[in-house]
Amino acid sequence: MANSALAAAEGGHPGAGEGAQAPVGSVVIVGGGTAGWMTAAALANRLAGLPVTITLVESDEIGTVGVGEATVPHIRFFNARLGIDEADFMRRTNATFKLGIEFVNWGRKGDSYIHPFGAHGEPIEGVAFHHIWARYRRAGGTEPIEAFSLPVLAARENRFAHPAPDPASLLSTYSYAYQFDAALYAAYLRSYAEKRGVRRIEGRVIAVDQDGESGQVRRLTLDDGREIGGELFVDCSGFRGLLIEQTLKTGYADWSHWLPCNRAVAVPCASAGPLSPYTRATALDAGWQWRIPLQHRTGNGHVYCSSYISDEAAAETLLARLDGAPQAEPRFLRFLTGKRHRQWNRNVVAIGLSAGFLEPLESTSIHLIQLGIGFLMDLFPTREWDPMLAREYNRLMDLEYERVRDFLILHYHATERADTPFWNYVRTMRVPDSLAERMTAFRERGIVVNYRDGMFLDASWVAVYAGQGIVPRRSDPRAEGLSDAGLFIKLASLREDYARMAGELPQQARFLEMIGARMDMRAPEGVA
Amino acid sequence: MSEPLRHPLRRIVIAGGGTAGWMAAAALSRLCANGTTRVTLVESEEIGTVGVGEATIPPIKTFNAMLGIDEDAFLAATQGTFKLGIAFEGWHREGESYLHPFGAYGADIEGVKFHQIWLKLRAMGIPVPLADFNMAEVAARMGRFDRPTGDPRSALSQLDYAFHFDAGLYAAFLRRHAEARGVERLEGRIGQVLLHGETGFIEALRLEDGRLIDGDLFIDCTGFRALLIEGALGSGFEDWSHWLPCDRAVAVPCARAGGAAGPILPYTRSTARAAGWQWRIPLQHRTGNGMVYCSRYWSDDEASGTLLANLDAEPTGEPRLLRFTTGMRKQPWVKNCVALGLASGFMEPLESTSIHLVQIGISKLLALLPDRSFPAHERAEYNRLTAIQWAQIRDFLILHYKQNARGDAAFWQECAAMPVPETLERKIALFAGTGRLFRYDDELFTDANWTAVMTGQGIIPQAHDPLADALDGAALRDMTARMADAFRRTARAMPFHADFIARHCAA
Amino acid sequence: MAAFGSGAFGALPRSGPAERVAISGGGLCGWLAACLLARHLPHLRIVVHPASADEETRPDRSLGVPLAAEVLLPGDLEHIAAAGLRGGDLIRHCRGSFMLGTALTGWRAAGGPAFVPFGEIGAPLGPVPFHQIVAAARARGHDVNMANYALGALCAQTGRFAPPRSDDASVLSTLSFGLAVESDALRRLLRDDALAHGVQHGEAVADPASLCAAADLVIDARGAPEAWSENGGEQGGEDWSALMPFDRALVAKRAEPGTPPPPPPPYAHLSALAEGWQGFVPLAGAMTETLVFAAAAPPAEVTGALPEAHRLAPGRSAAAWQGAIVRMGAAAQQHDPVAGLQLHLALADVVRLIALFPANADCAVEAAEYNRQWRERSDCAFDYTVLRLARNGAKGAVWDRLRAAALPHRTAYRHDLYAANGRIALHDGEVFETPGWVMQFEALGIRPRRPDALAMTVPDMAITAHFEAIRKAMLAGVAKLPPHGAVLAEVCA
Repeated sequence: MANSALAAAEGGHPGAGEGAQAPVGSVVIVGGGTAGWMTAAALANRLAGLPVTITLVESDEIGTVGVGEATVPHIRFFNARLGIDEADFMRRTNATFKLGIEFVNWGRKGDSYIHPFGAHGEPIEGVAFHHIWARYRRAGGTEPIEAFSLPVLAARENRFAHPAPDPASLLSTYSYAYQFDAALYAAYLRSYAEKRGVRRIEGRVIAVDQDGESGQVRRLTLDDGREIGGELFVDCSGFRGLLIEQTLKTGYADWSHWLPCNRAVAVPCASAGPLSPYTRATALDAGWQWRIPLQHRTGNGHVYCSSYISDEAAAETLLARLDGAPQAEPRFLRFLTGKRHRQWNRNVVAIGLSAGFLEPLESTSIHLIQLGIGFLMDLFPTREWDPMLAREYNRLMDLEYERVRDFLILHYHATERADTPFWNYVRTMRVPDSLAERMTAFRERGIVVNYRDGMFLDASWVAVYAGQGIVPRRSDPRAEGLSDAGLFIKLASLREDYARMAGELPQQARFLEMIGARMDMRAPEGVA
Repeated sequence: MSEPLRHPLRRIVIAGGGTAGWMAAAALSRLCANGTTRVTLVESEEIGTVGVGEATIPPIKTFNAMLGIDEDAFLAATQGTFKLGIAFEGWHREGESYLHPFGAYGADIEGVKFHQIWLKLRAMGIPVPLADFNMAEVAARMGRFDRPTGDPRSALSQLDYAFHFDAGLYAAFLRRHAEARGVERLEGRIGQVLLHGETGFIEALRLEDGRLIDGDLFIDCTGFRALLIEGALGSGFEDWSHWLPCDRAVAVPCARAGGAAGPILPYTRSTARAAGWQWRIPLQHRTGNGMVYCSRYWSDDEASGTLLANLDAEPTGEPRLLRFTTGMRKQPWVKNCVALGLASGFMEPLESTSIHLVQIGISKLLALLPDRSFPAHERAEYNRLTAIQWAQIRDFLILHYKQNARGDAAFWQECAAMPVPETLERKIALFAGTGRLFRYDDELFTDANWTAVMTGQGIIPQAHDPLADALDGAALRDMTARMADAFRRTARAMPFHADFIARHCAA
Repeated sequence: MAAFGSGAFGALPRSGPAERVAISGGGLCGWLAACLLARHLPHLRIVVHPASADEETRPDRSLGVPLAAEVLLPGDLEHIAAAGLRGGDLIRHCRGSFMLGTALTGWRAAGGPAFVPFGEIGAPLGPVPFHQIVAAARARGHDVNMANYALGALCAQTGRFAPPRSDDASVLSTLSFGLAVESDALRRLLRDDALAHGVQHGEAVADPASLCAAADLVIDARGAPEAWSENGGEQGGEDWSALMPFDRALVAKRAEPGTPPPPPPPYAHLSALAEGWQGFVPLAGAMTETLVFAAAAPPAEVTGALPEAHRLAPGRSAAAWQGAIVRMGAAAQQHDPVAGLQLHLALADVVRLIALFPANADCAVEAAEYNRQWRERSDCAFDYTVLRLARNGAKGAVWDRLRAAALPHRTAYRHDLYAANGRIALHDGEVFETPGWVMQFEALGIRPRRPDALAMTVPDMAITAHFEAIRKAMLAGVAKLPPHGAVLAEVCA
C-alpha cells in the first residue's frame, strides 16, 4: 500500500486524491536516547488514532550521550502535551527544579551571575527595566541587575516553589525548568511511547537502501538481517548522522571558529550541600565546567577545546573540581559545533545531535529537539512530499540554530578575560554580524534587538549582557525623566520586595517533598 | 522715627572707581536726593581696575534691587549670565567633582533638617545623591535656567541664583546709574591725603593736579594700594596666608566655546591644580579664566602655562598677573575713612565672595551711617561685625583646602596638614559626627552651603540625628522620591541657559 | 564624588541632549508625529514647519495620495489611545465610524465577494489552527465560508456592533475593530492636541536639511519624492512600479443623502476593476472613494478627469533615518494606496522613534536599529500588498501581466508555502498576523493544495461539532449587540 501511494505521488497525478493527501503511514526513528524517545513519544501522542506505524530502532550496544541534563522551561509544554504528571516524572528521573543558570568567571574572573527564567525588575514609566538599571548603575548604584530578580534571589538561597498564577503577584514573575537524568527521561518516555503502540526494535543498522530515483531512504537492514521499511525516517542516531549524513551526505556548517570547544568529559559525583535549583557553568582556562544537581547525585562535565588543553588535563581539572566523590569513570565526547545544512533532507528529518551540535551552555539541546519535533508535527508530510514542507522546516530550524548560536557566542565574546590563549581567542574573534550588531545596540543604547522567532527573549539577552559586564552607555530618554534619587528609592523598595518574597519560598528539597516529587519517598522501580 | 542727625554729612568722597567704588557710589547716590550730602568719586582712567569676569552670589540680587536695577537690562549691559552654583573639580580627589549650588536642599520634614533625612536614607542602605534635592543643582547639571516663581508649591520656587558678568562693564553700568542720580565724578590721580593735625581725620585729598577734594567721610576704594586706610591711617593688616597660602593669580579671557551658538553653562567652575586652582566664568561673549596659586610651589610661568593649556577655547588676550596677600585690614573703618573692596582686605574668589564683601561693607555702612560727630562706638560695631563676617568666609574657604585627599602634590599635602582656626575645627567635628550644623550670627553661609562643601570634600557624617528615626521610613522614601522627581521634571521643562539669555537679556 | 553620581564638570558636553525636534511638513504625518512625540516625550521642544507657505491650501500628500478618509487599524487605535487620544473624540471630531474589516469584490476568479475581518477567525481545535481545520473540512467536500466564523464579519453582516467592554467574558471580548476617520479632521485633531501639548508652529521651510542647524533631529514628513530610484531619486532607493503599477489616484467624498443620513456600514470596500481598483471608506454621513489606476491605461470613464488625478510613485527610500533626518510617511515609502496602510506605517514609525529616541546627537545606533525595524515592516507591508496585486484572480490585462511577473523570493515564498499546506510564514515586523494573511489569501481565491496532514486526523464529527459551537456562540453574542448606527449616535450625543 505504501508503495502504490508513493508511486502515485511520484507520478505527480494530482487526481491521486486521498492517497497522496494522506499523511505518511510509517515513521521509522533511528536511534533511541533522548531525541529518539522524545520524538517517539510525541508522535505516538499526536498521531494516536491514525493509521501510522511508529518504529524505533536502537541498539543497546550503542551508548547514548545524555548524562545529567538541564532544560529550559519549554520542556514543561512538551510534557504537558503528553499528559505527564510532574511529580511522577520528577521522581522517576531524579529531577530537580531549575530557575536558571549560574555563570561563574565568564565576564571576569571572580564574577558570578545567574541567567534566570524570568525578567528582571519591572518597567518604570513605560521604560524597560534594564534602561532603568543602567541609569542606576551610571548614577553610582552598585547592585547587579540580578538583585531585582525573584528567581535569582530564590536560587541563590536554594529555594523554590511553583510560580503564582496571579499575574499581579511578584511570585508570577518567573518560570522554571528541570534538571534530570537524561537516560531515565528517555526510559520514562520509552515506556510512555511503547504503551501507545510504538514498536521498538533492538538492533544495529548495517545498511540503508535508497530509492534510485528520488534518493529517499526506503529501508534499513539490521545486523541480524531484518529489514525495516518506512516512509518517513527520523534520524536520531547522534553525532554521526547515520541517515542524514552517512547516507544522504547532507553536509555540515562548521561553526567551530565561533564556538571552538570540541570535546567534553563527563562524570557524575555524589551530592554535597543543599539541593540547588540551578545549573552552574564555570568558565575554565580552555572551556567551561557544568554542574547539574540531581536529587541523588550531581552531573558534571568539562567542555573544552582540544587545541588548548589535553584530554588528560581536562579530565584532571574536572575531577579536581567536583563537589563530592566521583561515581564513575570520566567519559569523553568529541563533537564539532555547527549544524546540518538541511535538517530535513528528502524523507529524512534529523533531530538531536544528528541535526547539529551546540554546546549545552544554555541547556538548549533538548529544546532544539523539542522544536524539531514541533515543526515536524506542524509540517507533517503527506505522501506527495511537497518540497515546501522541508523548505519551511529548514528555514525555521536554521533561524533557531543561528539565534541560539549567537546567544552562545555572546557568552564567550562579551568577556574581559585575557588570562589564557583560549579566552584571548574568543574575546578577539570576529563574531557573526548579526551578533556584533546586537551587542553594539545594547552597549550603546540598551537596545535589545527583538525577533519574532528565536527561543531567547529579551530578558535572557539582558541577563547575559548585564551579567557579563555590559552596562549600556545611554538609556532610553524616557528613563531620564526620573531623578537619580527617585531611582535609588524605587529600586531599593523593589529589591526589598523581591528579597522578602524570595525569602518566603521553601527550600527546594522541602518543596520536592511537599509535592511528592522526592525520589526517595517512594521506592522507584526500574531505576538503577 | 528717630530724630534726624544733627550734623549730617555734607560730602562723601569715594577714592577710586572700579567695582567697589562705583558700587559704593551707586548705593550712596540716594543720599544726593536730600540736597545736603554730595557724593564725589575720584578716579583716574590711567589706573586700571582688577575685575575681569566676575562671579557673584545670590545676595547681589538684593543689592541690585535696592538700587532699582532692571535685571535684564543689567545683564545685557554687562555680558552677564546666570549662575546656579560652583562646580568643584578635583578638590577632594583628582577625578572627583561636586557642585556647590545656591538655595536649599529639599525640604525639612516635621522639623528634621533635610540633610538629616538624607543621612537617614543612606543609613537605610539607599545612597541617594544629595545633588538631586537642590533645584539649582539639578538645573545646572542640565545646563538649564529659569527664574524662580513665587509660588511656594512649585519646585521652581526653591531655585536661587546669582550672576557672572564683566566687572568693568558692571562698574560702568553703576557709574551711569550713580551719575544719573547726582554723584559727581572727578578725573584725577590722588597725590596726597591730608589729615587733620589734631584729630587725624582725613580732611581732604590732594590730586596730582593740585585740586583739593575735601569731605566728611572718605571711602577708600583704591584697591591693594589702600592709599587712605593704610597709607594715611595705618590701619594694619591681619595676614591669613598661613591658612590660605595662595598669593598670586593670573587671568586670561578666552572665546566662548562653540561660538555664538555654543552652550553657556550656568555655573562657575573651580578646578584644583597642582599648586592652586583654576577658575572659569562663562560670560555671554567670552569666558573668563584664571589661576590662583601659591608662589612657593609654582613659578608664574608654570601657572600661566597650566592655565593656557586648560582653556576651553582660544585665549583672547594676554595673561595678566596679580599678587596679593590673603588677610584683612585690622580696622576697615578708621576715623572718618571706610575701606571697601581690595583696600579692605583680600580673600581669593573661590566662593565668589569679593563683590559680596563690598556689598556687606556698603550695607553695614548704610546701617551705621554716621553724622559728622563720627561716634566711636558705631565704628567699633562696624569693625566688629565686619571682622566676624570675614572670618566666617575665611573658615569656609579654608575648609576647601583643608579637607582634601589629593595627596598628589606638596601644596595639597601642606594644606591637608595645616592647623585650622578653632571655629572651623569645631564645625567640622560637629558635622562629621552626626551632621550637626549651627549657623552663627548672621552668617553668610547656610546649612546648605556647608553641607554641599563638607560632603563634597568627603565628610560624610557617621550618624544621623536620632529625630530622623522617629519618621516613618516608607513615607520618607515616598516623600523624598517625589521631591527629587519634581526637581528633575521642573528642570527638564526649563530652557537651556543660552536660550534663556538669548530670549531675555542678550547683550 | 563618584558615589553620588556627579558627572564631571570638566569639559563642555560634546553634544547636549537631543530635544529640539523640527518636523518638516504640516500634513497628517507631521502632526501625527508631533502629537505623539509631545505626549510621550514631554521634554522635547517640537516645531512643525510647513513645507511651503501655502501648504494649508494644498492637498495633504504626507502619506502619499491625499485620501479623503483613513482607517486606523485595531493596533493603531491602541497606540493613539496610549497617547491619550480617546476613540470617542476621534468619532466625534472626525466623522468616525467603526471598522470591522474590508469587503473585497472582484479579486478572486470565482466565489463572489469576500470579507477580510480584523481579529481572530474561529478558534483552534487543540493544536490545530482553525484555518487548517477548514482546509480539512473542505478536503472532505464541505463548503466552508471562513467569514461565517469571524465575529467581525458577522457583525458587519448584521450591522450590529459595540466596542467590547473590558469586563465582558463572552466571545464578544475578542471583537477587534478599527476606526474610519476623515483624514483632514484627524490632521486637525492631532494638530490641536499637539499645540495644546507645547508643539509650536515654525516658518515654512522648503528643504528639511536646512532645519538641521536649529534642531537635533529633523523629521521629514513632506510626502513622497518624484522618484525613488537612482535616476532622479536618492542613491539606493527602490522603485516598486513593476509590481505596484498604478500611478494615478482620484479621490472623492460625497455626502450620503437623507436626513438624517443612514448609518455608515462598519467596513471598507475594495473592488478590483479591469484597469485598477476602487476603494470605499464610509464616514458618518459621507462616503469616500478612491480610484486607482495606471495613467498609461486609465479606465474609460475617468479619461476626462485625468488631470485631476493625484500622482503616485510606489517605492521606498534606501534608509528612513539618515544622519539627523528621519523620513516618515510617504517621504520614506509609498505603497499601493489602500486606506489605512500608509497611516499604519507612519504610526509604527512614530512609535518606533519614541522607543529609540536618541539621548543626544550621537545616534548612529538608534538609526541602525530604527532602519532595521522600518525595513522589516516595510517588507511585510510590501509582501501583503504585492500578493494582493499579483496573485489574485481579477480580470484584466494589467492583472494578467502582474500574475506573470516574477516576485521577490520572500514574497513568492509566502504564497508558495500557503498554497502548499496553508502555513503562514511570519516574519519580524508583520502588519497582519496569521488571520489577516489567511483571509486575504481567501479573498484572492488562493487555497492550500492540501490541508495540514495532522488536521486530517481530526474526525469529521469533531470538526462539525467545533464549527457549530463557534457559530452558535458568535451568533448569540452578535444578537446581543445594538445596531452600529445607534452606538455611533450615542457616542456623538
